[in-house]
Amino acid sequence: MKKVLEVILLLLLLVVTHAKGTRYSPPGKPALTRCRSPEKETFTCWWEPGSDGGLPTTYALYYRKESSDTVFECPDYRTAGENSCFFNKNDTSIWVNYNITVVATNALGRTFSDPVDIDVVYIVKPNPPEQVAVTVMEDKGWPFIRVSWEPPHKADTRSGWITLIYEIRVKLEEENDWEMHLAGQQKMFNIFSLRSGGKYLVQVRCKPDHGYWSEWSPSSYVKVPDYFHREKSVWILITVFCAFIFLILTWLLHMNSRSLKHFLLPPVPGPKIKGFDKQLLKNGKSEEVFSALVATDFPPKSSNYEDLLVEYLEVYIPEEQELMLEKSMDLDVGCLKCEGSASDSDSGRGSCDSHTLLMHKCDGVKEEEERQAKEAHGPGYWECGLSNKQPHLLHPQAQAQRQLQARSDDNISSIGRKQTPAGLHSPARRSTEYVEVERVNEEDMVLLQPVSGRCGDVEGYPEMPYGEDYSKVKGVDMDNMLLLQREVREETENCDTSSTVTTTQKPAACIHSAMPVEGEMVLGVNGYVDTATVCTPPTY
Amino acid sequence: MDRVVLMLSVMSLGVSSQPITDGQRLFSIAVSRVQHLHLLAQRLFSDFESSLQTEEQRQLNKIFLQDFCNSDYIISPIDKHETQRSSVLKLLSISYRLVESWEFPSRSLSGGSAPRNQISPKLSELKTGIHLLIRANEDGAEIFPDSSALQLAPYGNYYQSLGTDESLRRTYELLACFKKDMHKVETYLTVAKCRLSPEANCTL
Repeated sequence: MKKVLEVILLLLLLVVTHAKGTRYSPPGKPALTRCRSPEKETFTCWWEPGSDGGLPTTYALYYRKESSDTVFECPDYRTAGENSCFFNKNDTSIWVNYNITVVATNALGRTFSDPVDIDVVYIVKPNPPEQVAVTVMEDKGWPFIRVSWEPPHKADTRSGWITLIYEIRVKLEEENDWEMHLAGQQKMFNIFSLRSGGKYLVQVRCKPDHGYWSEWSPSSYVKVPDYFHREKSVWILITVFCAFIFLILTWLLHMNSRSLKHFLLPPVPGPKIKGFDKQLLKNGKSEEVFSALVATDFPPKSSNYEDLLVEYLEVYIPEEQELMLEKSMDLDVGCLKCEGSASDSDSGRGSCDSHTLLMHKCDGVKEEEERQAKEAHGPGYWECGLSNKQPHLLHPQAQAQRQLQARSDDNISSIGRKQTPAGLHSPARRSTEYVEVERVNEEDMVLLQPVSGRCGDVEGYPEMPYGEDYSKVKGVDMDNMLLLQREVREETENCDTSSTVTTTQKPAACIHSAMPVEGEMVLGVNGYVDTATVCTPPTY
Repeated sequence: MDRVVLMLSVMSLGVSSQPITDGQRLFSIAVSRVQHLHLLAQRLFSDFESSLQTEEQRQLNKIFLQDFCNSDYIISPIDKHETQRSSVLKLLSISYRLVESWEFPSRSLSGGSAPRNQISPKLSELKTGIHLLIRANEDGAEIFPDSSALQLAPYGNYYQSLGTDESLRRTYELLACFKKDMHKVETYLTVAKCRLSPEANCTL
């Protein structure tokens, strides 16, 4: 009893659960997905089943050919796999429209799919090409790939029943882009422009003249040998590139050479003299330039132009006299000044070298100085404009020169050498007195005494003691030639003042050697040619 | 188009390495011409189909089940086996009849665009070519001049009897049938050519 009750309960439970959990329904609508013919002789159709409705469902395919109403069922459900129908050669007709329908049946009902019309001619999708062979061949050193294949064995291209065209695609193993080539109906193809040392993949597919493309054949691998020296080419490229850049740099450098030069070697700055105007100099007006520089009291304004002219003359001193001058210059300053004393810059000849000469003679110079002072007594006229404290034994020309030097920094020089005591005459006219050396004392000082009142000396022409080095001009002949006298007169002077020189110098004497001069030359009392008094007769 | 066809024919001639006889040259020209016609037919049909709306398409599909083609009376091989069993002459004659059957109706294909106007003269030329091929290959075979004349008339009436409502349907049928027949002729001619050519791979 209990067992029966249990069974009933179980059955009830089963019924209830079944009734609540599962829902039976007729099958869902199947759908024909595609039909394909590989060689235009057979074809296969596949369908997609719908929901089965919870019950076991069976599928059946029915077809009808055009121009007949007879319905046929699929002859072969197995060959092509599940949910498929295979039509063999006997069942396949070309250029005939098939109307195909799939029916799903289960316990509760049946469902028809949508009919599909097909013509076998237009559903041809061949198999991929077979026996794809890829070889590397060479054409004058450049390799290329030759691809060859065979049509799928099912497709009857031999009798012309089906006409296939082929397509190849190539790519490098590491890349993603394929290179497509259409080969037409041929069964061989060459691929050029390969990368040296690359590994390529090759695939082939085919298509009937009216149909679908087949699947790609399995990949065939091929390796291209190295035919291009990469390193060499890289070096060549680098070299060319560097040469190019070098050329560009050279050109740039050439274009900017001036600015570069200025940058590396800056130009020497011009003179920066206070008051110096470069522009005036460039203009060529030297007078203005110098006038800007010099002090106002220079050049000395003199009414007499000739005086000015004379003062600007550069005096040429022969070496011997220069030495004498140098020595005499140092009388009061001593030999120690040889080193750093200012040179006679006007003449440009005074340098320390001459001073050094003096240096060597400094030891026994005193006597010499005295002697030279006596020797220079004759021509040693001093301008009394100078103070007595500056008893420089100077040549009159040199005196003027020193005067210039004292007042100007510029090198004023003029042409010509003029031995003239003209400079002396003019100061003479300015009522200056002349002094002459009396003696040199122990302290190497030259003692001067004024020259005054000599016979025949109205204007104060000093007597000229005859020196052995001097030549007295006798006269000037017709050809403007100076005639010199060799003998030295030994006339003693009758003047008041007498120069007692302790040297062996010959006493001064009055000179009455005014020779008549023809022409323009006028001889002074002392025998010098006085060019300044050309126009004026000598007055003595 | 003519130039393309000529070029194709020249190229197809050039491909063959062996000396081409006159018959082979004619065959090649005929095959290329019919291929071109088939492509035209395909394009026309696809253009027409794309211009239809989905509703009309469904209706036409149903209608087309009846499969009325003007060339249905011409018995032609419908599979490979039958085709290979037929002789070259038979194939040529069937092709001739097929082309001839379309000579008149092709004019009724709505002549607006350029391709449709060219179909009829091309068909005429193709017919002439096939006739030459038949002459070249016949050896006492029959020619059917009378039957062709007889068969033209009813189908001419058939297409003209339809009303304007059926114009869409008629165009659809015309285009579909034309496409099919052109493909038939192409296949027959290709098979015949391959059978006559000495080399094995005739489709090269």
